[in-house]
Amino acid sequence: MFIGQDITRVDALDKVLGTAAFAHDLKNNTMLFACVVRSSRPHAMIRKIDASAALALDGVVKVLSHKDIPGENLFGAIKKDQPFLAEGRVRYKGEAILVVVGVTEEIARKASGLVEIEYEDLEYISDPFLSMRSAILIHDGGNLLSHRKVIKGDAGKGFESSDVVVENTYSTTWIDHAYMETEAGIGYTDERGHIVVASSTQNIHYKMKEIARLLAIPPEQVRVVQATTGGGFGGKLDVTVEGYIALAVYHTKRPVVMRYTREESFLGHTKRHPLYIEYKTGAGKDGNLTAVEVNIIGDTGPYISYGETVCLRAAVHATGPYEVPNVLVNSRMFYTNNPVSGAMRGFGVPQLALAHESQLDEIAERIGMDPLDIRMKNALKRGSLTATSQVLHHSAGLLETLKGIEPFWRARRKQGPGSGFGLGCMYYGIGNTGISNPSSCYLTFTPEGRVEMHSGVCDIGQGSDTVLLQILCDALGMEEMGIDLVRGDTDTSLDAGSTSASRQTYISGMAVCNAAQKMREYLEGQGYYSGKPLKDICREAAEKGLPVFKGHFDPPTTAPDPETSQGAPYATYAFATHMTEVHVDEVTGVCKAVKVHAAHDVGRAINVSNVKGQIYGGVAMGVGLALMEEFIPGKTESFDNYYLPTSMDMPEVEAIVVEDREPTGPFGAKGVGEPALIPQAAAIVNAIKDATGVRMRQLPCDIERLKLALEKNKIK
Amino acid sequence: MKTISFVLNGKKTSIEVDDNETLLGALRERLGITSVKEGCGIGECGTCTVLVDDEPHYSCLTLASKANGRDIKTVEYLSSSGVLHPLQEAFIKSGAVQCGYCTPGMLLCAYSLLLKNADPDARDIKEAISGNLCRCTGYIQIEEAIKNAAEICKCDR
Repeated sequence: MFIGQDITRVDALDKVLGTAAFAHDLKNNTMLFACVVRSSRPHAMIRKIDASAALALDGVVKVLSHKDIPGENLFGAIKKDQPFLAEGRVRYKGEAILVVVGVTEEIARKASGLVEIEYEDLEYISDPFLSMRSAILIHDGGNLLSHRKVIKGDAGKGFESSDVVVENTYSTTWIDHAYMETEAGIGYTDERGHIVVASSTQNIHYKMKEIARLLAIPPEQVRVVQATTGGGFGGKLDVTVEGYIALAVYHTKRPVVMRYTREESFLGHTKRHPLYIEYKTGAGKDGNLTAVEVNIIGDTGPYISYGETVCLRAAVHATGPYEVPNVLVNSRMFYTNNPVSGAMRGFGVPQLALAHESQLDEIAERIGMDPLDIRMKNALKRGSLTATSQVLHHSAGLLETLKGIEPFWRARRKQGPGSGFGLGCMYYGIGNTGISNPSSCYLTFTPEGRVEMHSGVCDIGQGSDTVLLQILCDALGMEEMGIDLVRGDTDTSLDAGSTSASRQTYISGMAVCNAAQKMREYLEGQGYYSGKPLKDICREAAEKGLPVFKGHFDPPTTAPDPETSQGAPYATYAFATHMTEVHVDEVTGVCKAVKVHAAHDVGRAINVSNVKGQIYGGVAMGVGLALMEEFIPGKTESFDNYYLPTSMDMPEVEAIVVEDREPTGPFGAKGVGEPALIPQAAAIVNAIKDATGVRMRQLPCDIERLKLALEKNKIK
Repeated sequence: MKTISFVLNGKKTSIEVDDNETLLGALRERLGITSVKEGCGIGECGTCTVLVDDEPHYSCLTLASKANGRDIKTVEYLSSSGVLHPLQEAFIKSGAVQCGYCTPGMLLCAYSLLLKNADPDARDIKEAISGNLCRCTGYIQIEEAIKNAAEICKCDR
């Protein structure tokens, strides 16, 4: 048995030795260096570009603009709307305009500083409220990117029958993924004339297709390889360096390397969406929720990226993991001239969790009910209807996570002034929202008698390679891990889809199970399970050509109704409860998260150590979201003014793993990557209220914001 | 350009460096030691940590010329005897490695800590790695690994 065991991660040895090759480590001295010239203006027409001084610099090989793009100058994960290189107009500070290629990094960077760009500034749309009223259009079609509604029952009637109604506004800000490894990659032309790019990425097949469109060549002539990737969290889903590297290789016919500095990374990649959330909750005296009405306004920046995805996912998760008979949600995303907001761990759901969890605590306070009891009373469970009227037929372990937390909650005791406790719950649909999002893989043998798994799944540090191998070993009934992993290369794997939406264990895990089932049948026929050695089977098979077994899985979902979003957008959901103890220093405004109990229904923990690693990391990111992280466009440049939690900021964490098995998942597994983060900030905010009496509705609750709120509260 | 000599992972090394060259640049570009990572370039994240005379330094802020006459250790030193150091074993066993980008720097800080303090408590461990950012792990399994390795190192003495 490999499932449920703490199997050592297959990538750990190389990483502790320092030999794991991240993208920039693949560089050699024959490679040219490419860097990007970016817009210094948030919204402007480009009147003139003078690259003569850059081109005159010794060692500069090329300066490339949109005119040098042979194919289509547009990319985008959902819709193709963002130029690789700006054509005449820039729509955010940091937008790419030129690629400068030099013989060394020093020369390329120096040359990029010599390019002179003349702008004619346009009115700058700095927030979504301005955007919705402005006559200035960021795109011809208007400033509204997306409007999604969730309508269930009759919210108006629900509020009429409520004994208590609570209405508040919440807001969150831009968050940077801040993976330790900035975007990087190398590229070259191989002996077949194919363009090869090896980069730090979450999705090789998607990037292969984007490069093919950019260069107007068939995707079969592009090979994308995933280098060891130093974190992603959604920020390496969009095309980053890959397009520029491919373009530079195409024009120079020489190998090219790129690496963003941290400053460039902050400027260049997407952010978590800032959301403004107007939230109205109604309940009976008994604590039963009667109605929820939510109005979400999002700042999506000037290009789509994952803006529509976040708009819809935020809407369908807006009630939180509770049974609410009457729901009305309006979720809208507006274009602005702020940074492009895109995918980041949770796709809008952590922002909504802040709102629904704060609201629930206020309802509980108004009717004199314990925060844990009101959650237990309303918790989604097997047989429940979600906000989209999806029946949860199985694996809905929210109550079990609440019960896991219950003893600690009931035994909580404040440690003097400034001490407080808070709860946060969440549910999260695994996989993409209401659309097909399949994964494929294939298995074969080596002539020497080993099983070979060909996987297009990008392990970005979360451990999917190890988990998929564990699944395969058990699915084949192997007693030892005799499997060779061929991974992360579009030439040798099928499309597994992106490493996002907490989908790889569940969806790619099922694709592996599907392939394993076919291989198992073959092995049965060959006598493997009655004792014939694999070596002999493979030697005999090799003469005729080794068989290949393809696996495929696409989770069963239904498209949300365009007007009401009713339907079954996800095949399964993860559930979690976090309890957090904080200490607030009322003199300084410093809030410290002291202790977290985090209970997660993951369906089945394939690798318990990995699951705990995700939970601890999610808590850390939640501490950052709640207390310190804030990207301010035009101001934030580096880790000097973007604060990440350090070891000193981390609470003690106790992870509680709940396993309500998911019958459609691999050995019962669901996912945990994003769920680990989602309820954490909410739990902290509720704990701050418990500690100080102050309800924080804007994130982050950093020292200044919290101190100000505490002072205001004193005056009251 | 000037020639500098130092001990790198136990071996005498001489290289030519520019006056304004960082130790990070010299190690990666001239000596091919790519385990030393750049994360921010301004001494905020710790992924470029090396040991100078067994003390952690941000190599992105250290001039290469300052290495002259010093003892420099990178993560390669820990397994230079051909077997994994107990810290490396413990990092693997405790799940302390996720994306791995911060790992070499974390290991070196931990190694330096254990040289000075064979019996660190939880606070000592947190402080020792407080200058090294990690975005994946929440530090908890890293701290557990360091604690476990300290126990093993004590037994080996």
